[in-house]
Amino acid sequence: MKKWVVLLLSVVLVPSAFASDLALAKKEGKANFYANITAVEPIMQAFTSAKGVEGVYVRVSTAKYLATVLTEFEAGKLQADLLQGPLPILEMLKGKGVLTPYRSPSAAGYPAWARKDDTIMQFGIEYVAVIYNKDLVKPKDVPTRYMDLTNPKWRDKIVMPDPSSHATTITWLVGLKEAKVFPSDKAWMDFVEGLAANRPMFVKSFSPTPGPVESGEKLLAISMPKYIITHAPAPLDWARTGTLLGTPRGVAIAAKAPHPNAARLFMDYWLSKDAMKLLADKVGEYVLAPGVYPPIDGIAKAKVVPIRELSDAEIRSWGEKFKKIFFAR
Amino acid sequence: MGNKSALTPILIVIVGFLTISPVLMLIFGSFSEGFGTFSGFTLSKYVEAYTDPELSAVLLNTLVFTLGSAAVATALALFLSYMYTRTNIPFKFFFGVISIIPMMIPHILFSISWVLLLNPSNGILNRYLMELFELKKAFFDIYSLPGMILVEGLLDLPVSYLIIAPAMSAFDVSLEESSRVCGAGTLRTFTRVTLPVLRPAILASVILVVVRCLASFSVPSVIGMPGRIYVLATHIYRIISTGFSADYGKAAAVGMSALAAAILLIYLYRYLTSESDRYVTISSRGFKPAIIDLKGSKYPLLGFVGLISFVLIVLPVLVLFYTSMLPYVMVPSAKAFSLMSWRNWLEVLEDPISLLALKNSVMLGLVGATLGVILSIFVSYVIVKVRTRAAGVLESLSFLSFSFPGMVIGIGFMWFFVRTPLYATIWALLIGYIAVYLPYGIRPLSSAFVQIHSHLEESSKVCGASSFTTMRRIVIPLLIPGILSGWILMASIFMRELTVSVVLSRPGSEVLAVQILRFSEDGLWGRLSALGIIMILISSALVTAASFLGKTLAKGRSPAE
Repeated sequence: MKKWVVLLLSVVLVPSAFASDLALAKKEGKANFYANITAVEPIMQAFTSAKGVEGVYVRVSTAKYLATVLTEFEAGKLQADLLQGPLPILEMLKGKGVLTPYRSPSAAGYPAWARKDDTIMQFGIEYVAVIYNKDLVKPKDVPTRYMDLTNPKWRDKIVMPDPSSHATTITWLVGLKEAKVFPSDKAWMDFVEGLAANRPMFVKSFSPTPGPVESGEKLLAISMPKYIITHAPAPLDWARTGTLLGTPRGVAIAAKAPHPNAARLFMDYWLSKDAMKLLADKVGEYVLAPGVYPPIDGIAKAKVVPIRELSDAEIRSWGEKFKKIFFAR
Repeated sequence: MGNKSALTPILIVIVGFLTISPVLMLIFGSFSEGFGTFSGFTLSKYVEAYTDPELSAVLLNTLVFTLGSAAVATALALFLSYMYTRTNIPFKFFFGVISIIPMMIPHILFSISWVLLLNPSNGILNRYLMELFELKKAFFDIYSLPGMILVEGLLDLPVSYLIIAPAMSAFDVSLEESSRVCGAGTLRTFTRVTLPVLRPAILASVILVVVRCLASFSVPSVIGMPGRIYVLATHIYRIISTGFSADYGKAAAVGMSALAAAILLIYLYRYLTSESDRYVTISSRGFKPAIIDLKGSKYPLLGFVGLISFVLIVLPVLVLFYTSMLPYVMVPSAKAFSLMSWRNWLEVLEDPISLLALKNSVMLGLVGATLGVILSIFVSYVIVKVRTRAAGVLESLSFLSFSFPGMVIGIGFMWFFVRTPLYATIWALLIGYIAVYLPYGIRPLSSAFVQIHSHLEESSKVCGASSFTTMRRIVIPLLIPGILSGWILMASIFMRELTVSVVLSRPGSEVLAVQILRFSEDGLWGRLSALGIIMILISSALVTAASFLGKTLAKGRSPAE
């Protein structure tokens, strides 16, 4: 009898609680989403039309992320309801008391490691791969393992972010070592030195990497497969070099969110299969919602692994080491 | 000009408020252990920044880059403005516009255009020249210091041109005539008379371009980084981007050297032009700029100027248009031409954020430039005509925000505005723009003021005119070329401003450059180019309207009448 009462109450009360949350969120009107992830406008529009609450996307670049959020937070003017960014940044914000816990029901099917705590929810991996111009690189020449990048035939034909300063690239290079992608540390160092010997062209981040490959200025890029979707119909493909690595992307709710109900509503929507499918389909992102993959040939079968977060001190120290290797004259 | 003794402190307060606040925030940040707030004094950021073994190489590159760009911009501006203002070369209006087009192009787009033209692998111009001359190696590698100097010099050509052209047009030809009467040839007259009289304008141009280059980021990142040539701005970017908690304090500490260099340059400029009477050329009713007949060399020179303009300016703009019609970046080929469409243009014109950004940028360009020029008139007057120690302070203050590397000063403004109710509004952008780019108004106006002798004002007062009437009837009409230059410089800069906007722009206060940056980060080069061209067209319309208005006003209110 007692069980039946609990069940009855939950059937009646839970939907009404949702309904009242939705009403409160609608009353608040909007949810401000501070994010470093790009091209998410389709998801913001879908959220606005599905829920009747405006999703406002505020793009903040990684280099200015902490400075912007902490400046606003310390002045009591943080306008963000939700914060999306690389996991290390969200960890620092959590340490400063900027974030608040929230366990979204939409996160139920996500891998356990993606929900280390109730504050930061990991929803995707900023995956890195070798991409190439499929009009200019013959199928037999496409690299099949990372070590192929050290072949002298790729001299002056590779573009990549500056490995002495670009945090994600530094983390990726170290990740290849730590994930044991190479049989030994020496083999990994041979790869790093071989890659440097091929004199890659450096750009400031991943976003300028596909341009020179599309135009034929370079043939290969250490870049992100998502550009195959966002730069379509450019003749880009990714090289199946083995395990793909990347830094986890996280999302959290601000402790003093100006629109707390809208924030929770947005979080539930963002983590839902519908939103993650949009993120995969339209933006080419690698997401953690079970069974959802970007429509890039072969990605569903690829092994994509999150890299250990490096501390800033580690990033700077490795950056100095890579500077000596890649900038040696 | 009213009460001179009261004007200087009032202006020091206004300009100081505009420029000191963000710089002060950065100075605090550079001495602070904390992050964005002042918490515990430390010198460690300076020690780290200035004991970096790479700094000397970076400073040497910076020196070559800034001086080289200033030389290219100033030499080209001297040549073009001489042709435009002092000769009877045909199609003059065309040259006037072509010299200021680079001002309206977003720097990142201009740099990318040059990479597409002159990269050593498959640059369009390089490939053409290699085929033409059967070369085995690329004709020119854009990823080099000369490549950086070429592109930055061109980007800063409008700054130089708009400072030198008004001075050139106010030149008293009787000085040159006297030189010729004494037996000097054209070249000797040019080097011994024309150039020395134009010294304030030439120095102003060199200083402004050097300071601008110190803060420039597009050319160093798009062209310098791939060539592994690091200058101060990219060195600072490395400091900021290595690691997730960007050390803006250390970046500000490095930026202080740019600030010190700028202040030093301003004092050097004041010293070199200290006897301002030597440069006065409009002193009596006999003033009349004269036109030199080029005779037989008219058309060869026209051809030469046309070729320079085509290769240096028209070609990159054509590349932009070509890119705007393509779905992705491609070198010209049959496939590329078959894929051309107006899709990128339609997407930009139907994008509500792009349209809002367009509206906001036009508003900021019109209102900001007008307010900026009004402030600049007063500041320039004090700098040139009062010339006290306080006037020197005012001049240095006006350069404070301008000389800081862009990405750092943006953060300084954010640290400042977040403590005010203006944060996240369009008014914060307006104030920030005027504060940073005040020298663009002050430089051309100062050059114009230098050439107006105080006898003119004194004569007006002797005849019974009030200070206001003297200003309205005598000074302002003679200043119109300078006012016009300042307004055009400010309006076109505000239309494409990125540094301050990228930090302060929020939903509702989006501006064009931030939208262009978004397209760039998403790699949407087609949309980026389409929006860039729309920006160039709007800026050109503004400049044309301003030039027309300026000419009408100058005719209607000539002081000689």
